[in-house]
Formats: sequence, structure tokens, C-alpha cells
Amino acid sequence: MEVMLPEMGEDIKEATVSFWHFDEGEKVSEGDDLVEMVTDKASFNVPSPVAGVLSEILSQEGETAKIGDVIAIIEEEK
Amino acid sequence: MKPFPQWIKRQLPIKEINEMNELLKDSGLHTVCISAHCPNIGECFKNKEATFLILGNICTRNCLFCSVKKGVPNPPDSKEPEKIADAVKKLGLDYVVITSVTRDDLADGGAGHFVNTIRAIRNKNPKVRIETLAPDFNNNLNAINKIILEKIDVFAHNIETVPRLYESIRPRAMPCGSPHGEAVGRQADYNNSLNILKYVKNNSDILIKSSIILGFGETEQEILETITSLRSAGCDIIAIGQYLKPTKGCVEVREFVNPDKFDYYADFAKSIGINAVLSAPFVRSSYKAREIYEEISNGSHVA
Repeated sequence: MEVMLPEMGEDIKEATVSFWHFDEGEKVSEGDDLVEMVTDKASFNVPSPVAGVLSEILSQEGETAKIGDVIAIIEEEK
Repeated sequence: MKPFPQWIKRQLPIKEINEMNELLKDSGLHTVCISAHCPNIGECFKNKEATFLILGNICTRNCLFCSVKKGVPNPPDSKEPEKIADAVKKLGLDYVVITSVTRDDLADGGAGHFVNTIRAIRNKNPKVRIETLAPDFNNNLNAINKIILEKIDVFAHNIETVPRLYESIRPRAMPCGSPHGEAVGRQADYNNSLNILKYVKNNSDILIKSSIILGFGETEQEILETITSLRSAGCDIIAIGQYLKPTKGCVEVREFVNPDKFDYYADFAKSIGINAVLSAPFVRSSYKAREIYEEISNGSHVA
């Protein structure tokens, strides 16, 4: 599944990745804190929406992602 | 950008936020959650809770802590009350908070539209409890009377900050104008706001609520005095939270107030007789609005 940055404010266009709590290839459970992101307003922990393997990180630490961008791909547990 | 202290961190549950965005998108309604970049969006949207922003999403005031757009608003949408009533039903809300931008351009400040919205909501959702977070209506008591007569459950009006900071944080500078060009925005006034709370308290049985934002450079003494003024005005519920700069044009955060300090202000408020107090960095005016209402109306105090 594609992990997409959701709309969180009228003029919030982007958020910056502070750090990933997991490395590529690691298993994650649903609800685990996946990544910490920072907007102008606050910092946020994004919980993993599903259980599976974090197969790809598309927004690296320090990089900025736009609302709607896919920041990671999780291969769901069957 | 000033780094956030470790306590300024929230959860951002993607699935639940998207679901709620989807539910609200089709209705064309505005929420203060989205307009004000509220950091609690994850928690509230997960619970399918939102605070509706009526009378458009353009404000005639220029408060420097707020990310709601400023300028010349459009005429009120006469279909909005019905749309809100439908959304309340769709979300299955049993407690709803209605707030608005300030409409200095309208003769009644939008009070009539509040009334229409309250009635439409009740018509379709007879059991729902309603809290209005009202603007100051330019101190127009006729406008406030209209709202009182609807016998809402909670009347909220935010004092926002200490009196010394009104001029710098809620300035007179008015970027807005009427369609005819003249400036229509007014300046918020600390004493007016206190008088509104007092007026509603003295003329109704409605619970009274107000909120203070910390982090603009106010002193402890000033905060204690403001809490005391709210108590004298008859506030039953107060909410105290940390200012977070929502967007570039807004004032900087002067101080991230330590969570212990929020507890201290809560203890003080309770010690002078305010029964229901929410005080923590992420508290906003409508945060846990239903919970605090239920606790106070059940006669138990909030811990």
C-alpha cells in the first residue's frame, strides 16, 4: 500500500521528514509509529496504516514531501 | 524555524484523516480544523469530530495568530445551515460546535445565520447538543440575544490573550474592506469580550466558556489576572493551550510553555472556582468539547 501524506490544513502544502522509525525491509505492525514529520505548526508521528513490510522509503530524512505525495510503500501482510 | 520541544508532537493517522476529509469534501463545508491547521486533527477526525466554520472562510479581522484567510467575505450561503445539519447527521454527532469567521461587514454580524444553522441542525438532529463559539458581534447585544434565545448548551467566546497584547496580536490593521471599498474590520477589545461573557451569563442559563492561548510573551501574572477576569465574568469552562504558528504570515511563538505550567494554571483556575478546566499544550477551544460539557453537566469536575 502507498503511504500518502494526507491533507491536514487549508494552506499546508508540505511536511518535512525528520526520521523514519524503521528501515526499508523491516516489518511494521498497524499503528506503529512509522515516521516523524514536521510542518510549520508542529511535529507529528505518522502511525503505519497497515501491517506489513516497509518495502520502500520514498521521502528520505530531511526531505520535504507535498500533500498527496507517496512517502513510502508497505507490502501488506497476506 | 524554532525546533519544537518534544511535547509538541501529535499523531497523524492517515487513513482516518482521509476518511473524514472525504466525508466533508462533498458537502462544501468549512471546518476550523482544516482552516486553522489544527494539530489535533488526527485525534478528532479519528473520532469523527469536527468544528464547523460557518459564514464562509474569510474573516474581517486580522488576528496575527490565526491562519484563517482575511479579506472581503462572500455573502453568506443560505444553504449552509441545511448542509451543516446534513453533515451532523451523516457523522452521527451528538455534540456539535459551530463557530464562524468574524463578519464585521454584516449588520447583525452573522447572528441570524447562526440562528438558522442552530435550528436546521436541531430540526434534523433533535437530540444534539450545540455549542456556539461566537465572534464578538461588535458588542451588538441584539445579535447576542438572538443566539441566547436559541437556548444552546454552551456559549463560548474566546478572550484569546492578555489585555496588553491585544494591540500587537489582534491589531487594528485592516486589510479587508466592504464591496464598496471602505474598511469594515474592527479591533477586538478585551473588555468587550469580557462583557459579552458576563451578559450571556446574566441573561441565560447557558454554560459559559472561554479560551486563552499562551506563548505570545505574556507573563504569569498577566495570565493569572486574565483567568481571574474570566471567573468574574462568570465562565464555567476555560480552555488554555499553546500557540503554534500555523503559517508564515503569523506571529512567531515567543515561548513554548512547559506542560507543568499548564497544570499550574489549571490548579489556579480551579482554586478560584472555575469548575471545568482544560489546560495543556494541545488544548484548543473546541478540544474535547463534548467531554468537558458532559463532565460539568453531570456535576463532576474534570481532573
